[in-house]
Amino acid sequence: MKYNSNLNDIARHFVEFGKKAGADEVQISIYEGNDFSVSVRDGNIEELNEASDKAASVKVIVDKKVASASSGDLAASTMEKLIKNAIERAEYSGKDEFAGIPTKTADYPSDMSKYDLYDEAILKMSPEEKIKRALDMERFALADKRIRASGGAGFGTGEGTRVIANSNGILGQYSTTSISASVSLQAGEGDDFQEDYWWESSHHLNKLPSGESIAKKAIERVTRLVGAKKVETQVVPIVFDPQMSQMLFEFLLQCISGSAIYMKQSFLVDKIDQSIASKMLNIIDDPTIPGGAGSRPFDGEGVPMSKMTIVENGVLKNYLLDTYSAKKLGMKSNGHASGISNCYIAPGNVSPEEIIKSVKKGLYLTNTIGQGTVPTSGDISKGAYGLWIENGKLTYPVAEVTFTGTLSEMLNNIDMIGNDLNMRSSLSAPTIKINNMSISGK
Amino acid sequence: MNIKRRDFVKSSGLCLGAAAIVPHFAGNLFAETTYTAKPGEVNYFGMSKEDIRKLLEIALSKGGEFSELFFEYMVDSSVSMSEGIIKGSSESVRLGVGVRVVKGEQTGYGYTNELTFEKIKATALTAATIAQGNSKATVANMNEYFPKVQTYATENLISDATLKTKIELIREAYDAAMKYDSKIVKVNSSLADSIQYVTIANSEGHIISDVRPMVRLVVSATAENGKVRGSGHGNDGGRVGLDFYKKTAHPRDIGTRAAKEAVELLSAEPAPAGEYTVVLSKHQSGVMIHEAVGHPLEGDANWKKQSIMSEKFGQIVASPLINIYDDATIPSLRGSLNIDDEGTLCEKAMLIEKGKFVGFLNDKLSAKILKQPENGHGRRETYQHMPIPRMNNTNLAPGESTPEEIIKSVKKGFYAQTYQGGMVENTGKFTFSVNLGYLIEDGKLTKPLRNATLIGSNINILKDVDMVANDFGVFLGSCGKAGQTVPVTAGTPTLRIKKMTVGGM
Repeated sequence: MKYNSNLNDIARHFVEFGKKAGADEVQISIYEGNDFSVSVRDGNIEELNEASDKAASVKVIVDKKVASASSGDLAASTMEKLIKNAIERAEYSGKDEFAGIPTKTADYPSDMSKYDLYDEAILKMSPEEKIKRALDMERFALADKRIRASGGAGFGTGEGTRVIANSNGILGQYSTTSISASVSLQAGEGDDFQEDYWWESSHHLNKLPSGESIAKKAIERVTRLVGAKKVETQVVPIVFDPQMSQMLFEFLLQCISGSAIYMKQSFLVDKIDQSIASKMLNIIDDPTIPGGAGSRPFDGEGVPMSKMTIVENGVLKNYLLDTYSAKKLGMKSNGHASGISNCYIAPGNVSPEEIIKSVKKGLYLTNTIGQGTVPTSGDISKGAYGLWIENGKLTYPVAEVTFTGTLSEMLNNIDMIGNDLNMRSSLSAPTIKINNMSISGK
Repeated sequence: MNIKRRDFVKSSGLCLGAAAIVPHFAGNLFAETTYTAKPGEVNYFGMSKEDIRKLLEIALSKGGEFSELFFEYMVDSSVSMSEGIIKGSSESVRLGVGVRVVKGEQTGYGYTNELTFEKIKATALTAATIAQGNSKATVANMNEYFPKVQTYATENLISDATLKTKIELIREAYDAAMKYDSKIVKVNSSLADSIQYVTIANSEGHIISDVRPMVRLVVSATAENGKVRGSGHGNDGGRVGLDFYKKTAHPRDIGTRAAKEAVELLSAEPAPAGEYTVVLSKHQSGVMIHEAVGHPLEGDANWKKQSIMSEKFGQIVASPLINIYDDATIPSLRGSLNIDDEGTLCEKAMLIEKGKFVGFLNDKLSAKILKQPENGHGRRETYQHMPIPRMNNTNLAPGESTPEEIIKSVKKGFYAQTYQGGMVENTGKFTFSVNLGYLIEDGKLTKPLRNATLIGSNINILKDVDMVANDFGVFLGSCGKAGQTVPVTAGTPTLRIKKMTVGGM
């Protein structure tokens, strides 16, 4: 695993500079990375991107007054000027008794390699190999006669190092590599066509699913929607496929972020240790899974992260807190200054097939379009695509309808949770069935 | 209005303040004191015209047909207030150059934030690999040209204002929102401003610069009544100066708007579900034009034959009441531009005329492939992004009905007042998400309704617009596409749509 002690020295230097220049507390984070991406369409390279990136951000606190700055130029003179400016600007901020940066509570694991986030093999791949992978994946997809057009296939690799340092003794660093592949397709004829895509990513070259399997998944997702029609306006169960479950729980996570809670922009204010969902629901965030998409030792403020239960048997156990929101709420930071790590909905013991079989009439939801989520009220309303379920079987495709509800009711109306959890991104969920959903169509 | 030479030189001088440091990596980005610009002298981010010419030539060395350098220096500032205090302020600096090489329909791109000749040369060689071969292409002498319009405020810019002045603005907005009603429990008021300097040079021998101010004051307010809560939003700004908040959009009105929406939402009910006649208010309904017309007419989706509109050029695609254009030269709006991010002079582009599809939104590449005129729609978020066809200020022209007539004509329907946003696919299927709407009963607005998604397909909705009012309003937005966000506006009069699916309960 890569370790760049030079970046630590730079971070430490700016922390010390900030202290000397008059700040009571200073926090610096630095990112340095390299990225490559290629996109191909119809068998040709369309775009080739290669670049290196640098970024630093700094927060200073003077007399409990906060100011911050960021820059893509890490030159000492630029950064020092920005830090001085921030210290001057802090004077204009209001005194905030809750302001503060974290103190060091524990050492980070001495061996970051157990997180398994770095793979030299990715760095050794040639551009030609990456281009070939994108071309092969698209060729496989286009060989299917039902595909009318390619929206392009992409392949990307990246490598980066993050450093966090503050004047309370925090200093940490970790590096990651990443590799990703995606393909976007259209199927159908004339004005009646559909588009959809699939993607996979990993920290490790050999854990990235094959281009063929990615193409197959994209083909399946787009072709099953061809010929979609509106259904009648009605109230029925909706079966959320794993991607759609993920979308729903992303909204829940938004509603339990510390800042949404103290600003009262959430329907889940003051709900810790209360039941907010069906007893079936358990949500966990685990940053320690080796090679996990969101695995990491500490958050954006350098607070150590560890496994945490968010919802247990339907009871809300934790908000997602950073240092500031935790103090505002009279709690302790739980290392979520940069959100979740590997968050998942614990799987149930029924298969997705059994879930579909249990529905007499309803919608199997496979895609949504639109914003339509309001954390303050918990309202959700989105455009929906999917397959209509009749007597336990998937029938014709559905589009140009919406589903509407409140997250509170939906969480309580969870009726079944599938056993098909696949931890492929930082938020993962199995198939779930929710009763009493309002669908608006014709 | 033609740009005054004086203004341009002044701007270039500022630009140089940033650029002068560049040849030395450890130099000082803020070296205004050590840099002395001679009036009239132009120095493109520390590069000479000859350096730029050489770099463009190097970028073509592997057989590319077109090369381009996009230099950018941008300073963003923001300050925010909530819970009665200034919570903090921030300053962010961006400096770098993007190198683009095009061959046929293929693009190579690289960027760096180290502005030395050697580093840019290395980046140019990386971008050049899109073409595989040798080239003896030469780049002619560089000729500087200038924007023909000045669509931004040039004086009294907010980026030059003191932090104290900015705090006064957000405090006024904050206080107005808090005082609006005792049910208001939390308010956040913030001001974000930026100044962006760009120099764009390409292998056609063209070089042009621009200095773009931007500001936005945003207020969100949350109201509480027992267990019911509602959040409302207000914002205003553009490429304007400080005067804007004194004369055109007073901060207290922005704050009041946010608070009013929050309080109104406390009594709002879920929208009904099903197909209804829909009236889109003038306030923010530009979202619909942006999604249903703007995106589907962007050149890239059309030359790639991915848009539902690809084969419809020259056809009647909308009701004869519909005229839609995009115009970056309207002064001071968020989507206003003198030149786009490829250096093309901006102009008004007709898209739909009396229902007929007459034009695309083009960047250089799409214009060339579609054999259509370049019209100044090649935009990018930063030097780290390649330009793609984007909207600027997209408008549906007013018609002849009055807004009152339109509401009166509806027996039962849905009136859309404010929005969270909208989304569209290449298939033409789109949604817009209404934050606050009203039920129309017997020609009158009755109950407030909350969070409803309206869904349709663009080829149907454009034909179903059956009344267009003589009023007009503009939605201030940020548009995301292909991972890039750019500021835009979209304007409409009040419109009636015969029938649309309203997502409710």
